[in-house]
Amino acid sequence: MSLQQTKGYQVILAWLESKGIEPFAFQEETWQHIIDGHSGLVNAPTGCGKTFAVFLGAVIDFINEFPEDYRTRPANRLRLLWITPLRALAKDIGRAMTEVLEELGMKWKVGIRNGDTEISEREKQKRQMPEVLIITPESLHLLLAQKNYPEIFKKLMILAVDEWHELLGSKRGVQVELAVSRIVHLIEAYHQLLPDGGHELHEDMFERQSGEKHVNKNPATETFPLSVWGISATIGNLEQAQEVLLSSLLHKINYPPVTVKALIEKRIEIESVIPDEIEKYPWAGHLGIKLVHKVIPIIEKSRTTLIFINTRGMSERWYQEILNVAPELAGAVALHHGSIDRELRLWVEEALHSGKLKAVVCTASLDLGVDFRPVETVIQVGSPKGVARFLQRAGRSGHQPGELSKIYFLPTHSLELVEAAALKTAMKLNFIESRDPMMLCFDVLIQYLGTLAVGEGFYPDPLFREIASTHCFRDITAEEWKQILHFITEGGEALQQYDEFRKVEVIDGLYKINGRRVAMRHRLHIGTIVSDAMMKVKFMSGGYIGVIEEYFISRLNPGDVFTLAGRNLEFVMIKEMTAIVRKSNASKAIVPSWNGGRMPLSANLGLMLRKKFNEAWLVAEGKAVPDIELCALKPLFELQQKLSHIPKEDELLIEQIETGDGFHLFVYPFEGRLVHEAMAALLAFRISRITPITFSFAMNDYGFELLSDQPIPVDDSNVYELFSLNELGLDIQRSVNSAEMARRKFRDVAVIGGLIFQGYPGEHKKTRHLQSSAGLLFNVFSEYDPHNLLLRQAYHEVMEQQMEEGRLRNMLDRIGKSRIVIVFPEKLTPFCFPLKVDSMREDLSSEKLEDRIKKMQRQLSRG
Amino acid sequence: MNQQFWLTGDRTLFWEEEKVLIVSDLHFGKTGHFRKSGIAVPQSVYKEDLQRLVIQIQHFQPRQLIIVGDMFHSHANKELELFLKWRADLSGLEIQLIRGNHDILKEDWYLHAGIKLSQTTLSMNRFHFVHDIVDLKQRDGAFKEHTPGSSPYFFSGHIHPGIRVHGMGKQSLCFPCFYFGKEYAVLPAFSRFTGVAMIVPEEEEQVFAIVNDSVMQLQ
Repeated sequence: MSLQQTKGYQVILAWLESKGIEPFAFQEETWQHIIDGHSGLVNAPTGCGKTFAVFLGAVIDFINEFPEDYRTRPANRLRLLWITPLRALAKDIGRAMTEVLEELGMKWKVGIRNGDTEISEREKQKRQMPEVLIITPESLHLLLAQKNYPEIFKKLMILAVDEWHELLGSKRGVQVELAVSRIVHLIEAYHQLLPDGGHELHEDMFERQSGEKHVNKNPATETFPLSVWGISATIGNLEQAQEVLLSSLLHKINYPPVTVKALIEKRIEIESVIPDEIEKYPWAGHLGIKLVHKVIPIIEKSRTTLIFINTRGMSERWYQEILNVAPELAGAVALHHGSIDRELRLWVEEALHSGKLKAVVCTASLDLGVDFRPVETVIQVGSPKGVARFLQRAGRSGHQPGELSKIYFLPTHSLELVEAAALKTAMKLNFIESRDPMMLCFDVLIQYLGTLAVGEGFYPDPLFREIASTHCFRDITAEEWKQILHFITEGGEALQQYDEFRKVEVIDGLYKINGRRVAMRHRLHIGTIVSDAMMKVKFMSGGYIGVIEEYFISRLNPGDVFTLAGRNLEFVMIKEMTAIVRKSNASKAIVPSWNGGRMPLSANLGLMLRKKFNEAWLVAEGKAVPDIELCALKPLFELQQKLSHIPKEDELLIEQIETGDGFHLFVYPFEGRLVHEAMAALLAFRISRITPITFSFAMNDYGFELLSDQPIPVDDSNVYELFSLNELGLDIQRSVNSAEMARRKFRDVAVIGGLIFQGYPGEHKKTRHLQSSAGLLFNVFSEYDPHNLLLRQAYHEVMEQQMEEGRLRNMLDRIGKSRIVIVFPEKLTPFCFPLKVDSMREDLSSEKLEDRIKKMQRQLSRG
Repeated sequence: MNQQFWLTGDRTLFWEEEKVLIVSDLHFGKTGHFRKSGIAVPQSVYKEDLQRLVIQIQHFQPRQLIIVGDMFHSHANKELELFLKWRADLSGLEIQLIRGNHDILKEDWYLHAGIKLSQTTLSMNRFHFVHDIVDLKQRDGAFKEHTPGSSPYFFSGHIHPGIRVHGMGKQSLCFPCFYFGKEYAVLPAFSRFTGVAMIVPEEEEQVFAIVNDSVMQLQ
């Protein structure tokens, strides 16, 4: 059927014309695919009508189905499920959709479901699902934990996943994969049980045997009754992104899924904010807040400015500082991040829409494609860590097709100016990162099985095939599956007659959670993938302020003052899983450090950065280069060159410096913090085989440091060997064991896998006996159940993500072909200074533990 | 009155003259409590805790076992049946428990298990046994009651003390420990399924860390 001849298209076209809009070619292309019942991926830059490409497609499809009474037809049940990663997006998209539907005079309702949805609204949805439901991955899983959930999806036509590039590569992306596989199989089973699409049967959603016996239609002539659409900004691996999302659909359809690309060029202009005096600028200061006076004129000359800060903690500081420097902006500047109370966030978003605000200081919480038209300018403070992220943020301004996006880059330490130069070049070359999908996330799978067991229950055999149809679990073995089932039903190894493990029970082959409290705890657990151990913050008088990481609160003493939501608060006590605070007038406050936001430098940006140091070298030699950022850094480069060396693209720089703290070894591979962490552990391990020695590590995105209390035996004679690829896998495993990276990973894994229970809201007392720390569980499992799946996953994640083994391998390969330059500067250099103050440290030792303590004590007594 | 106390890397304290083995924070039944709620903690940690305690008893041959609180983690569960079996095998041993905040079982239960229960403190000569010393001090009436004699000394548990050791190169390690202050001592938690709370000792106080199952004096 040709789109142009359909009634639906004509209705939509007429509506667009009445608004003076013409559809983009990629939108029409998508509409055609949707009415043909195809699935695929839409790729378009932010602000170019991606949403309408899929949403209007669903509307057209409906009008075509009911050309006579599409306006009046009531209660058509859920037709379009719209998955979005961020709550902030839901409201905005919902509003845009409702506007369209009202103008078309249609009776469709748009519902929103996420952590912010009121209970009354949920109840209403339970009785009567809207035609369009906008939902987060977590809330979708909560739906799957409901009894009778299959009813909800019976008439679902389109499942859309918005901002898929954001979800891909995260555990929430795995949640989406699992939900898609469930819904696809649900709809398949449903349609197979409808002879000739006739009257409905009351179906058993999980047939105990394979569904094959029901197949009575020829699949080659059939399109699948459900279309799945991903919507993604440009990333390096678009084809793979599409495959991952559609994985469980692929063998059910007889056409290749499509990728629709919008050929719209977005004009982006980048300008760096360059400090007046480079040499006085603190290399290590990681706030850049001294440049705040340069931000004020930018805010003043634009209609609305978004100021992106990498972490919530720093966004608090910036907000305060802007008001200090420009008090006249009070009331016109707002703060927006994930820990702030939802009411306040919603207010900020509203005010952004209506153009009431001059500036909003925000974090990734405003990253995604909400359409804030008044935004003219974006300021990125600190490294965006990747080309894709920078592009996305730039796209937040000039949010209209064809408009110019203007973004300022403000460095938080002067070396970041090199990153600005690298970003410019990378954008010119369209050198955008890939998002690697996650594989075999057993923690998410265990949570998902609990979810299904709480709802309708499941039969393992058909579910295994279903799960294996996802990209994430396509390599799962029967043995692993058996172990997982054993884990959720028997709780692993136990003392038979003395055990009362109770979670998932098997009754007549159906796996089900029957315990009311276990079920309730599980429901509370869904969603822990985003928020780990968050604690509410309330005033003594009862007012709610926001949420904050538990580990931050746990380090506070009563009387300490900290900042949240732009307010200074004095910590009073913890009561029923809530931090009670009172207002404080103290001038000094601790700014919470949040775990989030510490993205490592991407491989693409790292490569560009190394290239830029070729030019930096020229600058130090007094030659002219085109990048003004590099020219501005001349004093710094000259000092670096004088004290040490500026590494060219094919060189690896190592600095060995002795200070009062001990002996430092600085290495600069420019590969990102995570790879450096792994490399530091690996190098420390390899050196410690030469001689008994103990290190502590520090790393940032540019390099890493090993610090020891004795000279570090690295020189020209052994350095290539220390960086060799020989026995890499084995050495990594050994060094991970020692360095305990897995212990940190285990926290997330244990929370998602349901081993750590964070308590019911307001029911602290009853659950106190169920609480334990991840560190303790890690010890207990390591010692008493070393083959535990979740423990193994923690190690696996260290290898895949933390170590980024592939990237580490590439790096070592590159270093093997490079020239390694070892220098012995007399004092700290500009390159090493930011590292010297980085506090992320880890230990690795080959000395006997007892010897180490004795040595520490000797040092302490000397000190 | 010089008395000999032996510290072991298995987190027990043996009073030689009185032939008393002193332990704290056994948290028996904790794994069972977790498992009953669907949290799959391996039970072998509990089994090994019981075995370690037997080995200590066989080694020192104490007349009495004093537990300074938190012998059981929570309500009764099936795991405690294993304890009762264990108890039956050691029926000759006198067990004295000073009730801790976790010891919430019915008094009958302790009686049935052959455990003598003290509600707050137990005294032997100048030595006193208590679960939570800070709590006792805050209810200072109770504290004074014990102070008239010459220099009383308390043995306590509750906090699961741990010590952090710092060294050059920003290194730091932490271990469970015994703490000996002027007025009282705090024992490490016996159970391996317990975390630690860091303490910061004064200079004249003594701390013994448990490093790889052996005892090391730190100060």
